[in-house]
Amino acid sequence: MATPAANAAPSVSPSLSLPPSQFARLQPHAYLLAHLSPPPASNQPSIRANGRAPSQFRVTSANAGSLTHTNGSAVVRIGDTTAVCGVRAEILHTDDIASWSVSSSSTSNSNKRRRLGEKTTDEDEGQDENEEDRAHIEDLNLLVPNLSLSTGCAPGFTPGAPPSALAQSLSHQILSLLHSTRLIRADDLRIWYQPPNLGSEALERHNESQQMEIDAGQGSEESDPQEIKAFWVLYIDVMIISLAGNPFDAAWAAVLAALRDTKLPKAWWDIDNETIICSDDISEASRLSLRGLPVASSFCVFEADAAAGWRAVVIPDVNDQKAQNQRKKGPQQKWILADPDGYEEGLSQERATLVVDKAKNGKNVILKMEKHGGWSVDTEDLRQLVEISGQRWDEMKRILDQC
Amino acid sequence: MSNQRQASSASQTPHLSPAELSYLYTSLSLPGSPIRPDGRSPTQFRPLTAETNILPGTNGSARIGFADGTQAIVGVKAEVERTTLSADTLDAREFDPNHDRESQEGSAAVSGHGSWVQMSIEIPGFRDDDALPVFLSEMMRESLVGSVGADESGMAGGLKGRLVINKRWHWRLYIDVLLLSQPLSYPLPLLSLTTHLALLSTKLPKLKSQGEEDPFFDDDWAVAEYLYPRSSSTLKKSPSQHVRPPVTLLVISVGDNVIFDPNREEIAVADAVLAISVTRGEGGGLKLLSIRTIDPPSRLTQPGIPNSENVNMLGATPAEENALTQATGEEEVSGVWRPRRGGVKRSVVANMVRTVLKKGGVGEEVLEGLEGVEVV
Amino acid sequence: MMADRRRVNGPSGGTRPAVFASLAESGTGVSERAQRQRQPSELRKIFLKTGLIPTASGSSYLEFEPSASLAAARINPKSLIPPSSALKLACTVHGPKPLPRSAAFSPNLVLTTHVKYAPFAARKRRGHIRDASERDLGVHLETALRGAIIAERWPKSGLDITITILEAEDDRWWADAPDSHDASWGMMNVLAGCITAASAAIADAHIDCLDLVAGGVAALVSDEEKQSSAAPKLMLDADPAEHRSIVSACVVAYMPARDEITELWLKGDSSKASLENGDKRSVHEALLDGAVDAARGAHTVLAEAVRESLLKTVG
Repeated sequence: MATPAANAAPSVSPSLSLPPSQFARLQPHAYLLAHLSPPPASNQPSIRANGRAPSQFRVTSANAGSLTHTNGSAVVRIGDTTAVCGVRAEILHTDDIASWSVSSSSTSNSNKRRRLGEKTTDEDEGQDENEEDRAHIEDLNLLVPNLSLSTGCAPGFTPGAPPSALAQSLSHQILSLLHSTRLIRADDLRIWYQPPNLGSEALERHNESQQMEIDAGQGSEESDPQEIKAFWVLYIDVMIISLAGNPFDAAWAAVLAALRDTKLPKAWWDIDNETIICSDDISEASRLSLRGLPVASSFCVFEADAAAGWRAVVIPDVNDQKAQNQRKKGPQQKWILADPDGYEEGLSQERATLVVDKAKNGKNVILKMEKHGGWSVDTEDLRQLVEISGQRWDEMKRILDQC
Repeated sequence: MSNQRQASSASQTPHLSPAELSYLYTSLSLPGSPIRPDGRSPTQFRPLTAETNILPGTNGSARIGFADGTQAIVGVKAEVERTTLSADTLDAREFDPNHDRESQEGSAAVSGHGSWVQMSIEIPGFRDDDALPVFLSEMMRESLVGSVGADESGMAGGLKGRLVINKRWHWRLYIDVLLLSQPLSYPLPLLSLTTHLALLSTKLPKLKSQGEEDPFFDDDWAVAEYLYPRSSSTLKKSPSQHVRPPVTLLVISVGDNVIFDPNREEIAVADAVLAISVTRGEGGGLKLLSIRTIDPPSRLTQPGIPNSENVNMLGATPAEENALTQATGEEEVSGVWRPRRGGVKRSVVANMVRTVLKKGGVGEEVLEGLEGVEVV
Repeated sequence: MMADRRRVNGPSGGTRPAVFASLAESGTGVSERAQRQRQPSELRKIFLKTGLIPTASGSSYLEFEPSASLAAARINPKSLIPPSSALKLACTVHGPKPLPRSAAFSPNLVLTTHVKYAPFAARKRRGHIRDASERDLGVHLETALRGAIIAERWPKSGLDITITILEAEDDRWWADAPDSHDASWGMMNVLAGCITAASAAIADAHIDCLDLVAGGVAALVSDEEKQSSAAPKLMLDADPAEHRSIVSACVVAYMPARDEITELWLKGDSSKASLENGDKRSVHEALLDGAVDAARGAHTVLAEAVRESLLKTVG
């Protein structure tokens, strides 16, 4: 549409009468494509509409421990996406667990002994301990992550409404990642009780009988019989304050930073009050000893012609030849964009999320790999993404160590 | 949804034309002697019928009906409950009985706790978590439990203190407020008066146990004691000597006038709407418990169009003012309705509160009137 | 109780907050009530910044300066129990946007306010669903703002204001018995913060207002052991954690340019309190004036923040 102004000044070509910001709104796909595939003559690198290189992440900052009423808290900003995470620890008494039995507390006995003996923090823990970690943390729901998007973080999420599908999905992704990475040791969450020595006659009867039972179970082994009296339950609440794409990376980074910041008070079973009492002394509190540092990196795939792959399968003979040719020498057909912002997320179907950690020897360990929404990313691409995620890990480690 | 939202903070705006609103505003703001549509004086309440003890299954109940047909019923139920202090303070104190903080131990058992009074309001056409019922119940509850401090008349700590049975047991009060018809005007005065009456008539069974025993009660309802004790001989001792439940009055200001118990049309033109909770203090005077502003619905009304802007009248009036009026939107044209905007001046608030509290003022009149219902 | 299937639920048996033993150990010095270090008419510093949330048409972030005791505890942490807390909240404004098609015609801008505490905002864990006090706050905020916004300039439009409270104010000192003053005094400070922050966010969204409306709190506090011995003092911006008991408090939303109040919330029994000699005002008037003074203080911060955001968009 030629405006009168354009007519009056013939030197301005009509195509330029649309300012870039409006072009971006009207033709988002073409706008991003134009950025990513500059004319070959210009010799410019392929760059995203937001000025980043395809594999570049946004500026990330993290700040931990600023919230007063939490055991651990963190604010993580990835570009314009902001996530606040607060970890609150509460106590779950074993009396309140319906399925709890003395046997389950005594089996953990041997475990505890070994923990005291070796103090292993490496990856080479016994399989049985892993199994028990899983049993306690997952079966007893000791980790309770919830993510909220109803904070006015973006238009379209009505505040006060029940959690949207996206919020529910993100909460569950965080939960399953917490479980599958075994980030938190169940041992950090257990509150033990060591009954006084059996020799004293002053012991109350019910205590005595309990003692006997355990001893019997242990096969009269000479050991300090300890029992689990309670667990810490970690309520991990993430508020997405501002949403501009890629909420998962920000939320997970906030959870990670908050858990690294989390201090649990020293707690013990008080036999007189029959309850758990904690010490508020900060020097007696202990931090969680997390397993590794899983860092999430999300990508989206921007396709020049989103329907090309679809056509190739459904009607293979139509432009099969053309597509083949294009794929070989034609312009690039797809771009994998790291850390997509909201604009880019709206233009792509295919997503990939990788969670990697680094072993001591600097090798990438893939803890989670998820890809959905399309088929243009192949094995080779994924291998490359693992590489990029590895670099991201280094960056995130630096940021998290500083906060 | 938007309908409901608007209805939430004020009452529904009546469908009055801007011309009618303007007329009403002018007559209500006449200096000194406002003319109300129903001919009442500014401080006069609408006629109402009231009765108490209408529900045999409750500890106290009341019904009030306004002449316009709106009725409210309030039932008060009391239950005995074990006093549990929140874990973080109690357990630790029991843990070490010699602690110097011991004096504070169980102080909740003396002064009571606000959460022992529960209030629910049901208004037809609203869900119980809509803003209006929530706002109303918070407003009425906060004045009910808000009064702290010992009184000479044997009700230490006000209502909360009265609910204490002993250190380990207390009464829990459920106040259920039912509005029986769609609210025709802002239902606050009706609900507050009814709640007041119901609480006045509330009786708790006579305690037979003593001290720190588990409580048991006399099953003879005739000897039950009033929640708000009253004197045995009403003649000798004036009722003003006793603690009374608070009453929340709806007061509007129009121009320089302060008007009580506004009906739907009057509230629609109000400059400011305040809910003022008062109760009888020691010495017979009134004491102020809380003030809340209520969003005046006049902000949501449709503006009138002055002749100068009216297309139909184009040419009939000079058009110079036109631009000015539109630009500022502030210009008051006499006889043309403008929705209220902005807030209320401090002097107006002070004036409204003074009218309620002054000796022989409306507050006293209302409390005496409600007392009368019980006697008859 | 029905479990909420749309959220991750904790253990079905329920959990209990930690109980600290420090109350039992006398003479630790940890459980010393924080003292107010400010003058009676001195406000806490307010950090207010607009435009931090680019996806919203207007936004603001507000933080109160931590009290002296809290700041000390931050620098040199000794106890896991924070001595007091400092308000932190984020406010977003979405709109003006067209009303949903199902909505009735409105000649004015339809305001929707929504206040929610984060679950970790207070000493006691908050639920995910708004409770009565949060809804109550929403109504107060709506009243405060509606008087300031020139609503007829946006017929048939809606404006959503959402406030997320990341850290709330204490209702009382943590070691006091929960009953000593169980009224939710902290809520009044929260409301004042909400009003100021929302006003900044509305200005950031370029919605026309009569004036920037600011929130202020004044309270009558008594710090003596015996209530009768001394007259309660009037304090601006009182932090409930720093006082033995609050007799009465008042929060206003105030527009200095017009010297008008759009929202007034006063509660507490002030009948027995008397002001210092020479003061002829009644107690509630003194409270009201104090709250207005506090709001004037907040207004200077507000005006500065709005000016900054304007320079950002212009420059």
